Amino acid sequence: MSSFNPYTENGGAILAIAGADFSVVAGDTRQSEGYSIQTRYAPKVFRLTDRAVLAVNGFAADGNMFVKKVKQRLEWYRHAHAKDMPLRSIARLIQTMLYSRRFFPYYVYNILGGIEEDGSGAVYSFDPVGSYERETCRAAGPAQSLLQPFLDNQIYFKNQQPVPGTAHPTHLPLQVVLSVVIDSFTSATERHIEVGDGLEIYIILAKGRGLQGLEGVKGVQELSISEDSERIFVIRRELKKD
Amino acid sequence: MTSIGTGYDLSASTYSPDGRIFQVEYATKAVENSGTAIGLRVKDGIVLAVERLIHSKLLVPGANRRIQAVDRHIGMATAGLLADGRNVANRAREESSQIRTLWREPPTAVADRLALYAQAYTLYSSVRPFGISTIFGGVDKTGPSLFVVEPSGVCGYHGAAVGKGRQLAKTELEKLKLSELSMREAVIEAARIIYLVHDDNKEKEFELEMSWVGNETGGLHAPVPTDLLAEAEQKAREALETFE
Amino acid sequence: MDHFPTNWGRPRNDMFDAYGTHPIHQRPDNRPKDTFADSVQHTQQPIVTGTSVLAIKYKDGIMMAADNLASYGSLARFKDVQRLHSVGKYTVIGAGGDMSDFQYIQHILEEVQIAEGTHQDGHELGPVEIHEYLSQVMYARRSKMDPLWNSLLIGGFKDGKRFLSYVDLLGTTYSASTLATGFGAYIAQPLLRKAVEGYEDVLTTEQAQNILESCMRVLFYRDARSLDKYQIATITAEGVSITGSLKLQTSWDFAEGIRGYGAQTQ
Repeated sequence: MSSFNPYTENGGAILAIAGADFSVVAGDTRQSEGYSIQTRYAPKVFRLTDRAVLAVNGFAADGNMFVKKVKQRLEWYRHAHAKDMPLRSIARLIQTMLYSRRFFPYYVYNILGGIEEDGSGAVYSFDPVGSYERETCRAAGPAQSLLQPFLDNQIYFKNQQPVPGTAHPTHLPLQVVLSVVIDSFTSATERHIEVGDGLEIYIILAKGRGLQGLEGVKGVQELSISEDSERIFVIRRELKKD
Repeated sequence: MTSIGTGYDLSASTYSPDGRIFQVEYATKAVENSGTAIGLRVKDGIVLAVERLIHSKLLVPGANRRIQAVDRHIGMATAGLLADGRNVANRAREESSQIRTLWREPPTAVADRLALYAQAYTLYSSVRPFGISTIFGGVDKTGPSLFVVEPSGVCGYHGAAVGKGRQLAKTELEKLKLSELSMREAVIEAARIIYLVHDDNKEKEFELEMSWVGNETGGLHAPVPTDLLAEAEQKAREALETFE
Repeated sequence: MDHFPTNWGRPRNDMFDAYGTHPIHQRPDNRPKDTFADSVQHTQQPIVTGTSVLAIKYKDGIMMAADNLASYGSLARFKDVQRLHSVGKYTVIGAGGDMSDFQYIQHILEEVQIAEGTHQDGHELGPVEIHEYLSQVMYARRSKMDPLWNSLLIGGFKDGKRFLSYVDLLGTTYSASTLATGFGAYIAQPLLRKAVEGYEDVLTTEQAQNILESCMRVLFYRDARSLDKYQIATITAEGVSITGSLKLQTSWDFAEGIRGYGAQTQ
């Protein structure tokens, strides 16, 4: 008789990329256990505030509970301070919440994306017990080993030589980033059995910086109400279901 | 009052030399200021009715209800301090839930537990006896049962009346053949009695609040349906005119 | 989803008893002993278990099915057990896994309903609330390392909306237009998806019933812990109804023609 194991692994992939004045956070919508697909639509990306989006991956029950608790803490913050918590503060909050369960961890990899108070796009990534750092891009989940090298190459230009006399760009335009995100997920869907079914891409644009080509994107839907603060959009796409 | 100045009324845990507990009697006084509440145990169920006095025109209709649900099949009506009524109702729910968890069937003897609770509040200097009388009604596997729980004890009844108009209400209840009435008939009678005991000259407006448990409700405690309530009130007013 | 409730919530381990042949209460315990382990007892394994529950969305609401068997290991112990249970006027829950834990769940749901009912404010718990509540209970219990050893389907219809969702001993939740627990997740779920996905709004009561019946039949043929006696629950705008026990029509004639393994080679 083996003892009760309180964890399981529910598959999927999440990914986030920061631009100069935007942030993109994406995840597939498949939830699985072992070789079984439990559902084709279980969101892994959640809107926290008008300028912060959180993607969670790992043990789904822990993930949902963690998001619920983070949202609750953000609501309390709103009631106490009459404003949304800044992104870097949310990042620190998430680290303390994760570490508080150091000896019975939330089996969840978190990626937080959004806009900082200085208007820059940001991505924070966490391990299950709260180690975190701000990055330009990060992929997590069972398909991380497929996605991260691709991002390293396409976003950080690893193993690429710039044209002599020029430098690699420090930040990529939104449309390029969206293409990279969509290609990442179609590729991961091909090669990883736990990735597929649907794709949800959240885009957070800094205040007053225009749509940056988002207006032409097929199926884009705005979630924010006001045009004179940060704006949040979501793109929903189908992925292969096999 | 014989008690005043003697010091024997300062605590419910001290008898007076002639064997009385004045705090318990004072608690009964608190009940006497309250609108009347009656309960009828009839052939196939229980009917509870309350004369809910409207203390202010600013109150929303239906505010400060005095009939409360304890379990699916048990209801209670209180006369006295509203807040005490709510406290006792909460305790009743806990007791009922506890009995249900133990025996895995709809509880029967919740009133006994409540009597213990009410009595415990007469034993300690840090608490005061509840300023309420509770009519407790339910239908279970033993049939309909009706109890009155007061700081002074618990009793089972065919018909019960507490609060301001209890004397007149009891006289009226005694005239009825309670064990032969149907629940619908009991609703009409209960409404008539509440209208009868209401003193138009002395009191402000009132709202009639009624609930029932029994065959008519499938054994569940529920408010009397609005159409039946309206019919009962209509008949009560008519009866009042012929009575006077 | 594993067919054997015994294995739920445990790491997949084919090294040990891959076919679940041990009587479940007699499995050897080779764990290192904690000095205080005996002073606190938690559910470490299910004892009397139910197998698959199936549920689909269809035109008028939700339809669910479960057989009437509660097994004791490989022994078919109780053959008239209700594994579909109505909760209030809008919801049915169906349970696989430990039946005593399921009875406990029925009890706490009753308590919650009474507590809500005492407010007498006209609000009633619908399937959404019941699923959320159960999820919190199941997750809280797994977090105490004292799980309720079940996988539950919650189906309902309230305010013109269908609801169908899952929760298990780990607190894992999800919803879809077809759901199956236990062995049904392997055998019936593919059949259900083929028959239902895309037709959720056109399937009639009769069609839905036929789909579930055929899946229950396949399960009876293939799942050794299943029974040919089952019930169907429908939850629609008209409310909840659970059928009496239905009998599956099966035919074992094909067994005559099987050749090629065991002692019988001709």
